[in-house]
Parts: sequence; C-alpha cells; structure tokens
Amino acid sequence: MSGALVADRITKTFAVSRGGTTRELRAVNDVSLAVAPGEIVGLVGESGCGKTTLSRIMIGIETATAGAITYDGRPVRTRAEWRALRRSVQSVFQDPFTALCPTMRIGDALAEPLAIHGICPPAERKERVSRMLEMVGLHPDMARRLPNQLSGGQRQRVNLARALMLEPKVLICDEIVSGLDVSVQAQVLALLIALQEGLGLSLVFISHDLRVVRYLCTRVVVMYMGEVVEQGDVEAVFDHPQHAYTRSLLAAIPDHSRLSAGATT
Amino acid sequence: MAPVLAVENLSVSFPGARGQITVVEDVSFTLEAGQSLVIAGESGSGKSMVCQTLLGIAPGAASVTGTRIDWKGRNLLTLNEPEWQAIRGAEIAMIFQDPTAALNPLITVENQIIDAIRAHRRVSRAEARARAVEVLGLAGFPEPEHRMRSYPSELSGGLRQRVAIALALSCSPSLIVADEATTNLDVSIQAQIVKLLRELKDRLGLALIFVTHDLGLAAEIGGDLLVMYAGCAVERGPVKSVLTDPCHPYTRGLLRSAPTLRSSRANPLRPIPGQMPKPGSVGAGSPFRSRCPVVVDGVCEAQRAGWTSAGPGHDVACHRFALEGREGLR
Ligand SMILES: Nc1ncnc2c1ncn2[C@@H]1O[C@H](COP(=O)(O)OP(=O)(O)OP(=O)(O)O)[C@@H](O)[C@H]1O
Ligand SMILES: Nc1ncnc2c1ncn2[C@@H]1O[C@H](COP(=O)(O)OP(=O)(O)OP(=O)(O)O)[C@@H](O)[C@H]1O
Ligand code: SF4
Ligand SMILES: [Mg+2]
Ligand SMILES: [Mg+2]
Repeated sequence: MSGALVADRITKTFAVSRGGTTRELRAVNDVSLAVAPGEIVGLVGESGCGKTTLSRIMIGIETATAGAITYDGRPVRTRAEWRALRRSVQSVFQDPFTALCPTMRIGDALAEPLAIHGICPPAERKERVSRMLEMVGLHPDMARRLPNQLSGGQRQRVNLARALMLEPKVLICDEIVSGLDVSVQAQVLALLIALQEGLGLSLVFISHDLRVVRYLCTRVVVMYMGEVVEQGDVEAVFDHPQHAYTRSLLAAIPDHSRLSAGATT
Repeated sequence: MAPVLAVENLSVSFPGARGQITVVEDVSFTLEAGQSLVIAGESGSGKSMVCQTLLGIAPGAASVTGTRIDWKGRNLLTLNEPEWQAIRGAEIAMIFQDPTAALNPLITVENQIIDAIRAHRRVSRAEARARAVEVLGLAGFPEPEHRMRSYPSELSGGLRQRVAIALALSCSPSLIVADEATTNLDVSIQAQIVKLLRELKDRLGLALIFVTHDLGLAAEIGGDLLVMYAGCAVERGPVKSVLTDPCHPYTRGLLRSAPTLRSSRANPLRPIPGQMPKPGSVGAGSPFRSRCPVVVDGVCEAQRAGWTSAGPGHDVACHRFALEGREGLR
C-alpha cells in the first residue's frame, strides 16, 4: 500500500535482571499494525502493555527482536533506510527526552530538522518556521521565545510543529494531550483533524484517554500485556466491545455524559 | 447538619512588581461531614492554592486573607505554626498528585505510617503498627502485614498512591484534601482509587475535597462542584446540576471542549478561544470577559458579577445570566 506504515508480527523482549537472575520480559508479542494513508489509528491499553515500545520500534528508536517494519511496501532494515523513513515518519512523545532544549529558541528548534536533513535553503528556513507556527495556532513571534516562556499547551504545539517541519506522511503521537487542559486539548485535536483532512496525514495516536480516542481516531487497536486483544473501527469497538478487557477499560473511563444522555450542548 | 468546614471570602495573593498579584479571590464554600466537594478549573486557576491554605502550607510569600475559615468552630486564618501542626495530618490530611513526593524513599512503608501516627498520638509502636495494618487495609493495599515492609520504590504507582491514602487516613482525619490525586495513574487504577475515596467518605463519614481538571472525574466523585476561573469561583452547585445544566459561559465552554464517550466528529468539540488571563491582569471586570461569547457591554468590563441562583444549591456568577437567565447564554 502506498504510504502505508506496517508493523508485521513484531515481538520485543527485554532482558531484565532482578536479584541476580536475568529474566526475559516480553513487552510486545507478535503484534501487527498497519496505518493506511489518512487514517488515524488509536493505540490503547493499560500502563506497561507495550504501546510505547511498539511505537518506538515503528520509527527505529528501538529494534524488534522479531518481525519487520515496512513503509510504502518496502522493508526498512538498514541505517540508510531508517534515515530515509524518518523524513516521512515523525514522532511526538510526551517524555522529557524528546522535549525541547531549554536554551534553544523556539525558532531555532523548529529550523533544526531542516538543517539536519539539509532540506530547505537556510535563507528560506525562517519563513517556513513562521508558517508552521501559524499552522499550529501560535504567533510567529513565538520563534524568539525560550521553552520556559511558554505554557504547557503552547509547548506541546511547538513539539507538534517541530515534528511537522519535514512534512511527514505519518505522525506517531504518544500521550501528547494527556497533560493538557481540556480547552487546550480541544485546540490540539482540532489541529490534528485539520492535518488529516487537509494534508492526508496519517496518525498513530497513543492515549490512555478513551474519550479522546473515540473522538479523534478512525480505528482503534486494544493491547493487553503485549498483545493485541481487539481492533476495529472506533464505533464498532466502543459500542460493541468483544473482548472482556476492552469492556473493563471502557467501564473505567470517567465520563460525565453518563449523568444524562446528551443534556449538554 | 452544621458544616465542618466553612470558607468565607478566601483570597491569596503574591507580591509582584506592581503591587500584590491576586491568584485566589473571594472564594467561599462549605462542606459537611460525609460530603464531597470537587474543585475544577484549568491549570493556574488557583485550585491547589485553595487546598494549601486549608493545610497551612501556602508558600511563605503568599498573603492569605479572608473573613474566616471556620474549622469545627476555630478560625484557621489565625493559627500559628504549632497550632497548624496539631491539625495538619491529624484533623485535615492531604493526598498529592505525586505519591513519591509524599513518601520518603529511604524508609519502609511500615515505618513511615508508624512515625506519622506517633507524631500525633501517644501510642506504643505495637499499637501504631496495628493501626498501620488497619489503614493500609482500608486503602486497599494488598497483604499489608507482609508487604508493608517494602520501600516505596518497590511498589507500582497505584500501590504508592494507596500508601499515601493510608498515610492520610492514619490519624483519623475528618477532612481529606486530594489535589489531582489520580491524575498520574492508569485509568483502571484511577477508577479504583476514586471508588475507594467515595467508599471511605461514606464509611468513615469523612469530608472530601477533590481537585481535578477532568469533568468526567468530577461526575464520578459526585457531591458539590465548584468551578474556578482565573482565581475566582464562577459556578457552584451539585455536580449533577452543574454538569447537566451549566449556567456560566466558562463552564459551558469547558463542557463543549471536553470529549466524552459519546463524542464524535459529527458533533465537533469547540475549544474556548483565547487564553486564561495572566494572574494580576484581570482588573475590575469579569475574569472571563476576554473569552466570553455573551459579554454584557459596559458591565462586564467594569465589575465582577455577584451570585445568582440557578436552582436548588446551584449558583452562578455572571452578569448575562443575572439579566436574562439561560435564554441569554444560548
Ligand atoms: N528498556 C527497557 N528495558 C526493560 N524493560 C522495558 C524497557 N522498556 C520498556 N520495558 C518494559 O516493557 C513493558 C512495556 O512498556 P511500554 O513503555 O511499551 O508500555 P506502555 O504501554 O507505553 O505503558 P504506559 O502507558 O505506562 O506508557 C513494560 O513492562 C516496561 O517496563
Ligand atoms: N510561589 C508562587 N509565587 C507566585 N505565584 C504563584 C506561586 N505559586 C503559584 N502561583 C500562581 O498562583 C496561581 C494559581 O496556582 P495554582 O497552583 O493554585 O493553580 P492550579 O489551579 O492548582 O493549577 P494546576 O491545574 O496547573 O495545578 C497560578 O497563576 C500560579 O502561577
Ligand atoms: S457575561 Fe460577563 S460576567 Fe458573564 S461570563 Fe461573560 S464576561 Fe463574565
Ligand atoms: Mg508509554
Ligand atoms: Mg494544582
């Protein structure tokens, strides 16, 4: 499939040592996941079920113990192939390791991927940064600021803008809206929808908030202890969950719409 | 029943470059034994600051003022530090967002709870230990006799939060203040902790203040809801009335931007445009006026709105609502 990112029968084991003995931990077990162009796939499941590990394998930060990643129908194996893939597949993580460098101005942080991949002539980079800031709903003046001069929601949008600088085809988002206030979260979700509808961007969207997944995603994959237990169209899975684990996950979601059927406008 | 806690006109401010910056303004509420109050509002609205004043742990630079904070007949606004120490943990206890911050990594769970109990009560180690087992059991900590010998780092996040709850329960407080106590937890664990807090409230007759920015969680906790915006209380009432019949433009905006399990793109979320004003920049008018779709010209810039009744126990601080009721909000 053109532009599709496919994880084919991925297994990942870690060696964990505890009290002198080394044990094998199977974080991901024989999982397959395909993201078609323009599709938003939600990846859900409890903490530790392997969501982040799988997504890191899909962009080559982590190597699979078994299984293969293909992009555009071609397997991605060598360093050069991963490097090429990262022009089309970008990721945004919530963790501080990929967060912004505290001493680098926002504009420079956004221009950096262009420089690394030698894409756009230096003279045009500033213009491209301004356009991207506007696209994520921030004022181009933000380019002069440092990360600590931004609010949480603004910072998350800058992270998103940075991942979008290379105009990727696929974006992997790991818990990017969890820490945000609902009003800011709604702004980020609106942006993701606009990118999907306008540019045909596809997303892998990892979240523990099933309310957000239901709203944003077209398809959902439910993982439990390293394995996929259920997947399907969002409506089907949410309205008629087949697996007991999916049902328990849905029941745990705090939801004010249970107070009344559609009384809020 | 007489309330155990009555907060009257609480304000908190910090010294700024051009005078005091008010971060909590004129907040009032009451709470009865066995009842819960949820405080909701976006980041920076002053929720944690309200909690901290109830435990006498507001930052040193903060100036805390008000008519009175009545706690079982005493005024918390006039306490000195030794008096606070007798109340904090013993009568009013707090559970924080990050359980690791509340727990000492170098001391076993058992010894931390024993120390906390013996700091407030003259009991033997054996008695304190028995109480530790009891409160860990109440908090749903599995096999307390055995596992209380663990260090916090050996426990999962959910178990650590249960230890923090046990610690809070250890001296039989009458009020527990939970500030985003489930925010970092996995949804399944979060649901368990919320259920536990609700049960403890009913079983032990505890008063509970639960701070969250998640309206879904507010609905699960129940009781009363206080919605804060930029330091001000803007709407209050039974959780169910406020969430099913929101009457302040900000509460309405929050609900329109919060996804539920019934949301779909066919009915898009509507983010509240703009941003919350910076602390100290609100001036005299309504704190929400820069983002409000139904501003009353000439009034909202000039003065804060007083409370208008919107139903039994349900009040709203909004000029538009005062003038036209629900019709004016559309
Ligand atoms: N580098 C590593 N070494 C050893 N174990 C690891 C490593 N990375 C992850 N794990 C383990 O693999 C399992 C899956 O972890 P992963 O981070 O993928 O879960 P997750 O679904 O993203 O969880 P969360 O929702 O908490 O982010 C966990 O048991 C985790 O402890
Ligand atoms: N030590 C301090 N000095 C000055 N201002 C402070 C201080 N601590 C907090 N503030 C300000 O007080 C306001 C209220 O903060 P508070 O922590 O109560 O917000 P909150 O509603 O709990 O937000 P969150 O949801 O992010 O926890 C904020 O504007 C904050 O910046
Ligand atoms: S109508 Fe006036 S008082 Fe009511 S929320 Fe809007 S600005 Fe505030
Ligand atoms: Mg993860
Ligand atoms: Mg807070």
